[in-house]
Amino acid sequence: MTPRGSAVSPRDAADLPAGLGGAPGPAARAGAAPRLPLRRWLALAAAPVAAGAALLAAWEAYVRARDVKEYLLPAPSAVARALAEDPMRFVDAARLSLTAALGGLVIASAVAFALAVAMAHSHAIERALYPPALLVKVTPIVAIYPLFTIWFGFGIAPKMLIAALITFFPMLVNAVIGLRSVDPAALDFLRALDASRWQLFWRLRLPSSLPYVFAALRISVPLSLIGAVVAEFLSGSSGMGQLILIANGDLDTPVLFGAVIVLAALGVSLTALVSYVERRVLFWHASSMGV
Amino acid sequence: MTALAAPAVEATGLAHRYLSDAGDLQALEGVDLALAPGEFVSLVGPSGCGKTTLLRLVAGLLTPTSGRVRVLGRAPAEARAGRAFGLVSQEPGLLPWRSVAGNVRLPLEVTGRRADVDALLRLVGIDRFARYYPHQLSGGMRQRVALARALAHAPAVLLMDEPFGALDELSREQMRLELLRIWEQRRTSVLFVTHSIREAVLLSDRVLVMSDSPGRIVDAVPVALPCPRSEAQEGSEAFTAAAARVRRALEAGA
Repeated sequence: MTPRGSAVSPRDAADLPAGLGGAPGPAARAGAAPRLPLRRWLALAAAPVAAGAALLAAWEAYVRARDVKEYLLPAPSAVARALAEDPMRFVDAARLSLTAALGGLVIASAVAFALAVAMAHSHAIERALYPPALLVKVTPIVAIYPLFTIWFGFGIAPKMLIAALITFFPMLVNAVIGLRSVDPAALDFLRALDASRWQLFWRLRLPSSLPYVFAALRISVPLSLIGAVVAEFLSGSSGMGQLILIANGDLDTPVLFGAVIVLAALGVSLTALVSYVERRVLFWHASSMGV
Repeated sequence: MTALAAPAVEATGLAHRYLSDAGDLQALEGVDLALAPGEFVSLVGPSGCGKTTLLRLVAGLLTPTSGRVRVLGRAPAEARAGRAFGLVSQEPGLLPWRSVAGNVRLPLEVTGRRADVDALLRLVGIDRFARYYPHQLSGGMRQRVALARALAHAPAVLLMDEPFGALDELSREQMRLELLRIWEQRRTSVLFVTHSIREAVLLSDRVLVMSDSPGRIVDAVPVALPCPRSEAQEGSEAFTAAAARVRRALEAGA
């Protein structure tokens, strides 16, 4: 018989990934993804930053050399001036758009996840709810918006609603799949243990669904911005959409470019935030392990 | 085994038929078996002969088409409610977001029972890895965690469905010996599904041989090897005789 103390064999220890080398301890806390040292980070950032700078320089040189009209293509310096001249104009508009986008996203995600729980629970509920959900997805949101202005006016509510409608479906579909994608061996173990539905949900189904929930968020975060801005554009009443509409009417192309840059920056920041939280929460999932 | 107490597991005239659009499948037919308390019984048979189905019927994860299962004298659902089962499958089925200790704690949280998690980890030899996560462990070590988890709530019946089937040969050897050592200490009743004749004979008090589908038990081979068991016994006459009888039954039932 194997003596008790030697139960962990050297072979088993050697199977650990390099860097864990069998050394016991809390090597595996949440957020185990290695942090890049600053120097390495700078080295990685150097190439894209240099490329971006070169592109801007070429753009600036082209506009100056050919004396391109500003309403056709403003130089980067002109765009920067437009942004710096009245930054609060952009900040205020961005805040309104962001509120509409994120408000809609949060409401839609919460409702979609709750419905997904019901749909994953019962095929009858799934069959009942799927057609209306699909209808929401395939109907062009732009066509519905005039109705919303009649019902809800020109405040932030109809914009939030558009952002919600556009982000609803990705969350619903992903969450249903995620809630069903449980490890069958883990499910068998818990069922043989007579775990309650509630225990199965909190301890198995909900955590199992998180990789899918984050996949949905990565799709729906940029979509929510699109929804909010399109709604503002259609109503012409607030936010970045209105700012773009006005600048367009004035042929104020530098401001148009500035608005695009602000929106792109918002999209990038929100996506990076989702990715960061995802890496922290899903440290155990293959998607966070760089494989 | 000679125990006359209520059998840990008893099946009488058990049959199961899977219904599907592709055609029904008679998985099991007329299965009778009894597992005494503390007994280690293996089910051996060709793949697809219904071994896993039988295990799932015992655990109440499936309802039999006909026949009856009793676990400690009760229906499987009641036995489940009494937390009688510890299940180890071929895949470890660990929760990847929980540490090793967290996974072993899972059945304690579900059942409300208490146990010394550190002692369980020591029992299966993974106490040094308590704070690791499953993705940081080898297949053999994950299966150790699965075993510790299945034992945590001190179940009366350990159901093992080819628990070492996905492991490499070296890990399998090692896990068999570990399981024997743990069983010596715990004396839980074990129903063990495998398709390895050697594994079945080395581990078991009795080997039940199943025929090809529909699965039936064609022979019950007692293994007259002294305990504690060890690999050294594999060359013994009793081992060879039992293994030969299992093989003959398998060939006859195929």
